[in-house]
Amino acid sequence: MSDVVLEARDLVVAYGGNLALDLPHLALRPGELVGVVGANGAGKSTLVNALLGWSRGTPRISGSVRLAGEEIGALPTHERVRRGLLLVPEGGPVFGRLTVAENLAAAEAAAGRRGYTEAEVFDLFPRLRERLHHAGAALSGGERQMLAIARSLRLGPRALLLDEPSIGLAPRLVSTVLRTVRRLVDAGLPVLLVEQNVRAAIEVVDRLVLLERGRILAEGPVAAMRDDPRIIEAYLGDTVA
Amino acid sequence: MNLVQQLINGLILGHAYALIAIGWTVLLGVARLVNFGHGQMYMIGAFMAWWATAPLGLPYPVAVLVAVAAGALLGLLVQAVMLRLTLEQNLVSIMIVTLGFGHVLRGAASLAFGGTPQVLETPPSLIEFELAGAWITAQDLLIVAAAILVFALLRGVVERGRLGRTARMVAEDPKLAQLAGIDVTRVYLAVFAFEGAAVALAAALVAPRTPILTSIGFEEVIVTFVVVVLGGIGSVAGSYLAGVGLGLFTALFGGFVSPAYTTAASFAVLTAVLVLRPGGLAAGRAVR
Repeated sequence: MSDVVLEARDLVVAYGGNLALDLPHLALRPGELVGVVGANGAGKSTLVNALLGWSRGTPRISGSVRLAGEEIGALPTHERVRRGLLLVPEGGPVFGRLTVAENLAAAEAAAGRRGYTEAEVFDLFPRLRERLHHAGAALSGGERQMLAIARSLRLGPRALLLDEPSIGLAPRLVSTVLRTVRRLVDAGLPVLLVEQNVRAAIEVVDRLVLLERGRILAEGPVAAMRDDPRIIEAYLGDTVA
Repeated sequence: MNLVQQLINGLILGHAYALIAIGWTVLLGVARLVNFGHGQMYMIGAFMAWWATAPLGLPYPVAVLVAVAAGALLGLLVQAVMLRLTLEQNLVSIMIVTLGFGHVLRGAASLAFGGTPQVLETPPSLIEFELAGAWITAQDLLIVAAAILVFALLRGVVERGRLGRTARMVAEDPKLAQLAGIDVTRVYLAVFAFEGAAVALAAALVAPRTPILTSIGFEEVIVTFVVVVLGGIGSVAGSYLAGVGLGLFTALFGGFVSPAYTTAASFAVLTAVLVLRPGGLAAGRAVR
């Protein structure tokens, strides 16, 4: 499909013989925000990490990953990044010993790719301009998340993967971050958003993928998925924390 | 000997120590790695410089380059062999592998160069002059100048510009660095090549002061350990100051107390500093 930016086929991840993910197909189109939801251990982070071939453990990953039509499944993580597949891992990690300015300056788009300028990221996250000379370690959780996203934007993304950007953030900040993500998507950047906060995610995503034990349980446009009894029961009902 | 003479000797010795340790400083600061074959790499560097000058008859500056190139290649080789361990940050295995590598180097050097002590005679080591009552050689001044130059360059590179920033990113979080588009493998290879080249440079400059044997290297690795830990692991400026400080301490202690106990006294100082200031002299300033 020519309009698909990111596509995964038969993506299988196993940790020491234990299957963590078995994904037959997933596609991300320009200007599309796809939410990936599921309980703890459903394989959400495993999915986005596997798309980058990245992990803090040593999983076995097989399957095809195509970015803008190019097969990148066999490339090392840094090469996938240089081609424009960017991941902001859970917790929005930043380089704590580097200042905000250094964190941003260190993120340079690969040759031939155009990254967001500093002015553009400050327009999205004005708070970062105020904290420019503070060390990454001195930032609050929300500021770190903003910096982590800003850094990825500077690297010139073709597609952006966000792993639980709302985790640990105050409700007001969650909505700020997710609205900013929506702005990026509306400007044409496709985003795959892993989120445990289904209630917040459902307000901004276009499509929803529900994972359970490493497999897709349901997927579809958010309007239809909002009424899916499995989503309502597990994530939107009264019992939801 | 008077105090001024001991101070001059100490300064020269201290710069030699700092120069020998600089590779390890970068290795620990950038890659959070160790190389217990460092002393034997020093020995190989010394032999390569001797081999290039004596049997081959090459000019001394070319011999220095030969030693540096050989050191860089050795560094690349050892890192290429243990790359998987490095990426997994498996420090215990890395210690064992590099210890083993050091022994392999010593065996290979015995086969290649034999058991006869060699002397690296260089033109600057034959130029002697008196300074404040102490006899020093142009080789000694070369050591001091080279140490200052290497440390100044390194401090500039590490603290300013892209290369240093990349190194600091890999030092802090190699996994996150991959997500910033950094080829971490290349950085690790480069760091080991630098370590090999730096210790070989130190050997080519410092070795003319002593006979060269395949058994040398142990003292150098101990000195390196003291300098790097005392200076604050990964601190470029700290290592320089610790190297010079250790040299002065060794010269003064050896001159006025007893040369037989300088190593023991150095470790006593190291212990005291670490108890009072656990991060070393430059605590909290990694790769600076």
